[in-house]
Amino acid sequence: MIIEDCEIVANTQLAAGLWEMSFRSSNISSQDLLPGQFISIQINENWERPLRRPMSIAGARQDVLSIIYKIFGSGTHELSKKIKGDSINILGPLGNNFTGWDSVKTPILIGGGVGLAPILFLHEHCQRMGIQSILIVGAKTGQEHFLSHDPSNRLYLTTDDGSIGVNGTVLDALQMLSISEKNGKLFACGPEMMLSTLQRFAISQNIQAQLAVESYMACGFGICQGCVIRRNSNRKSIDEHTYHQKYSLVCEDGPVYEANEVLFD
Amino acid sequence: MTDINISIGNATFKNQVFMASGTFGYGIELADTVNIGLLGAIITKSITLLPREGNPPPRIVETLSGMINSIGLANVGSETFVKEILPQYDKSFLPKVIVNIAGSTETEYCETLKLIESVSSNIIGYEINISCPNVSKGGMEFGIDADLTARLTEKLRKATDRLLIMKLSPNVTDITAIGKSAQEAGADAVSAINTVIGMSVDINSRTSNISTTYGGLSGPAIKPIGLAMVHKLFTALSIPVIGIGGIVNASDAVEYILAGATAIQVGTASFRDPNSGPEIVVGIESFLDTNKISNFNDLIGRLKTRNKSVTG
Repeated sequence: MIIEDCEIVANTQLAAGLWEMSFRSSNISSQDLLPGQFISIQINENWERPLRRPMSIAGARQDVLSIIYKIFGSGTHELSKKIKGDSINILGPLGNNFTGWDSVKTPILIGGGVGLAPILFLHEHCQRMGIQSILIVGAKTGQEHFLSHDPSNRLYLTTDDGSIGVNGTVLDALQMLSISEKNGKLFACGPEMMLSTLQRFAISQNIQAQLAVESYMACGFGICQGCVIRRNSNRKSIDEHTYHQKYSLVCEDGPVYEANEVLFD
Repeated sequence: MTDINISIGNATFKNQVFMASGTFGYGIELADTVNIGLLGAIITKSITLLPREGNPPPRIVETLSGMINSIGLANVGSETFVKEILPQYDKSFLPKVIVNIAGSTETEYCETLKLIESVSSNIIGYEINISCPNVSKGGMEFGIDADLTARLTEKLRKATDRLLIMKLSPNVTDITAIGKSAQEAGADAVSAINTVIGMSVDINSRTSNISTTYGGLSGPAIKPIGLAMVHKLFTALSIPVIGIGGIVNASDAVEYILAGATAIQVGTASFRDPNSGPEIVVGIESFLDTNKISNFNDLIGRLKTRNKSVTG
């Protein structure tokens, strides 16, 4: 775990409400960074907002790292006001990563909203290794997309309003794929509703899937115990007097889980 | 160089900066990232007799200059602590370790302390959490009742010769009454404050942002409350007071020391930067040097009285 000040090299709006920031990191970038891992960002030096914001790594090229973020509140709003040359304090790398994507024939990568970030990083890794993946990106409207719908290159966009790409959700796009394609493994990150839909689909169709989940965190490195998600246990009730059997720490055990490992609310 | 050694009860510390319970794990996890050897002491996450899963999510939410948590004392339990963690505090582990104990009954507190006392270890003492707002029974019940505090302190005092600190709750009418009970029953020191009961609401879903509705507020938002309570305790008690609440830099720490704290604890700040503690150690040293204060004890509680002639 490294903490460092990084120089922002770009901070631009990608689509409606969606921003990308890239910054030069000398130390974190020298680590072996893997898709699914995250870093934690300090908005500024003052203590109005004491907590860092955990964000998935969206890209890493040489010493430049990038994140994709959505403006949720005053913290991310302030983040969007930063300009090239500004400094930003980063802590990382944190968490586990997607696995097995390099050992299936066709990994299917699915991203929704800011959940697109680790999926793009995984896509970049697949391309680097010459692995043909399928990329499905979901949004409510066409304005929230910045990629182009391109089925010939196995890139499918979906919109709830049908303004771009497939009219419907990422699940609708997934179901349009051929049976042999569907038998690949799913790698997904996005809103909880999307992840829980994909979880049900994967389990019912007996398809392997890894889901990267989101959680509020105070630290990101296993100390605060705040970021828990319920584990999926076969036992009906778990003794109250256990530790780490009912809940899993997203920051250390996650953020990537096998679809059958966790329970959504 | 100023002498910054301090004594509390029968224990001595190289400096007055301690890491608060629940914000630094068991002290071992961060040993590779943080120069923990610089710290005065590390106070472990609360240990309970049996393991605890803790509360359902969401357990934390950020608020203005603070955060609310409701972790619910998630921990490995006393048996695992004694078997797996305690032996790691060997001679190579530099900072002094204070074990924080929580419970829901008098027996639970005592059994936990006795189990830890039953094995040989290098720990320097105990901090007793009688003020956790996030568990359904116990904990806080002791911390808001002077008689229960006295009885518990007395029993624990009989069970150990090591340093015994009672951690007090701000969620009471008169914190000095609880502090006096602890002192009379044999506590070596009190630490204050634990988190302040708080709440945060999501207006869209119309729910509390914390699964247990209320949680414990910490961070710079509670510093003024902590300072006032530490000053009241310092004035009312003869045993040392350890100041906690919103300390993020050396200047905050010096405020607490002037208000009467013999030592201070760094909590929420470690979540943002686990190096906050060592940085505060260096910052206090430089404050003492700059101000040519040769004995740290000359600073404790040396708040100057304002002119009292102002009348209403």
